Amino acid sequence: MDSVGSDEAVIATNDDASSCKRCAVALGYWRDRYISYFVRSTDRKAPEINRGYFARSVAIKMLVDKFIEVTNGNCQIVNIGAGFDTLYWRLVDEGKSVKGFVELDFPDYDVKLNRNNLHAHTYKLTGVDLRNITDVEAKVKESDLEYSLPTLFLAECVLVYMTIQKSSQLMKWIAEKFKSAFFINYEMVNLGDRFGEVMLSNLRSRGCDLAGAEACQSTETQRKRFLDAGWAGADSYDMIGIWARLPPEEIARVTQIELLDEQELLHQLFSHYAITTAWTDHRWSDVQL
Amino acid sequence: MGANSLPTDATLDLDEQISQLMQCKPLSEQQVRALCEKAKEILMDESNVQPVKSPVTICGDIHGQFHDLAELFRIGGKCPDTNYLFMGDYVDRGYYSVETVTLLVGLKVRYPQRITILRGNHESRQITQVYGFYDECLRKYGNANVWKIFTDLFDYFPLTALVESEIFCLHGGLSPSIETLDNIRNFDRVQEVPHEGPMCDLLWSDPDDRCGWGISPRGAGYTFGQDISEQFNHTNNLKLIARAHQLVMDGFNWAHEQKVVTIFSAPNYCYRCGNMASILEVDDCRNHTFIQFEPAPRRGEPDVTRRTPDYFL
Repeated sequence: MDSVGSDEAVIATNDDASSCKRCAVALGYWRDRYISYFVRSTDRKAPEINRGYFARSVAIKMLVDKFIEVTNGNCQIVNIGAGFDTLYWRLVDEGKSVKGFVELDFPDYDVKLNRNNLHAHTYKLTGVDLRNITDVEAKVKESDLEYSLPTLFLAECVLVYMTIQKSSQLMKWIAEKFKSAFFINYEMVNLGDRFGEVMLSNLRSRGCDLAGAEACQSTETQRKRFLDAGWAGADSYDMIGIWARLPPEEIARVTQIELLDEQELLHQLFSHYAITTAWTDHRWSDVQL
Repeated sequence: MGANSLPTDATLDLDEQISQLMQCKPLSEQQVRALCEKAKEILMDESNVQPVKSPVTICGDIHGQFHDLAELFRIGGKCPDTNYLFMGDYVDRGYYSVETVTLLVGLKVRYPQRITILRGNHESRQITQVYGFYDECLRKYGNANVWKIFTDLFDYFPLTALVESEIFCLHGGLSPSIETLDNIRNFDRVQEVPHEGPMCDLLWSDPDDRCGWGISPRGAGYTFGQDISEQFNHTNNLKLIARAHQLVMDGFNWAHEQKVVTIFSAPNYCYRCGNMASILEVDDCRNHTFIQFEPAPRRGEPDVTRRTPDYFL
């Protein structure tokens, strides 16, 4: 069982991600008028970090938009390990409504956010230990999620902190319960090389054990984890491939924001992250970039 | 001017400052100001193509990785026991740009004949505001004065060096506007690195597998092919172009049939890249030896201040 200490370290990764997002938003990479409510500003991040968060944020948002579009909004969104993700408010701003929006995260988050089990008409924030399926099932029930509705699950660098056994148990449970599910998983790949070795050691030194690194060996292992857990289909592209699928005018815009003098640094990062999509319902197999 | 020509008191002060810097402790703003004044006097007398004698150890990018610079001196020998030629990029990206650049400038003032410090593309006002040195100065001094003092000094750094008339050393690479070393000797370097033109190219260009000149993916400088390197070396009676500027996983990388070598001296660049570093020793007989090294165990850093590099988390 993971110690409390390592849970805290994992929770702290959200602070980092949020301040990086805030930095990129402040520089104009994408719009998010909510992120500054969650995190204080920090030092400017390196251009490859800003671009990387941009690629992730925009690609995920495009996939979410497509799912809402193909389901005509007759769907639910479950943001797993959401941290300070502002997706819900951004969707509200754009007038995109869904039947339900649930954020599942460590119970400690409630305390930190001071909004314990914050519930609105469609929005619910629920503290739950994702490694405990009984707890997950109870919380999902409380959140009025409907198993029969098309449901989008979103996880950004979350599963990797769980053991393979625990994450596949969660994947299996979702696939069994939600007959029309779509999953977006943003996570590391190619961790078997020297860069991956350094990443594992750097994150370990801040108390984060990538207990699920085994599923992050390649885009193929990312796909396979879903197929093995009973999902009907899955795709996975590293961020080099994702970047190439982003709208050219957006790429042209953001590459003007600041000079990135060493392309290889971005390339190295991009080749170690991927977006994997998976579905239990073949209708969603063409929700792609 | 030799090291011995400095007054004893000043020398003692400077030795004390260097040993403080060797422990990764920054100087005060006032000390930095005085040090940079002296450095300016020395650097302004140096040539755009600064002549250097062998033996000398040639080093590439450091990028604020102070503890790795300390490891470099452990491996290559202390200055002034070993002569050094650094090819730029002392600041940005690493966590200790202030300590790193202050130490190198301190050594330059103390042993002007023993160490040569060239300008890299990061020794610039504009680039340091994007890649960390500016923020680090604000964080460590509470204002931008030290950043201003250093970036003003960077304008005086020589652009290139010539070891024993046969190894041409610079940060980036060649320029379509430059045919001879005399072309370089003749321009006024005391300015911010321009966005284009010969001075910009020397600090920004990269060798490439393709022939001729190419557009650089960096957005400044050019790529140059083997034909260009061969012509330049032939015209100027050079054996080798030694340059830095690019991350190479083994710490050094030959290009253009050994007409060009890239040397990179920041191991595990950005604390993330997993690369080796290297330095190039050129001995009395002009023999070349590469010495590779990995990051030192970070024993100098207390755990509490130890940061981890940025990833997508």
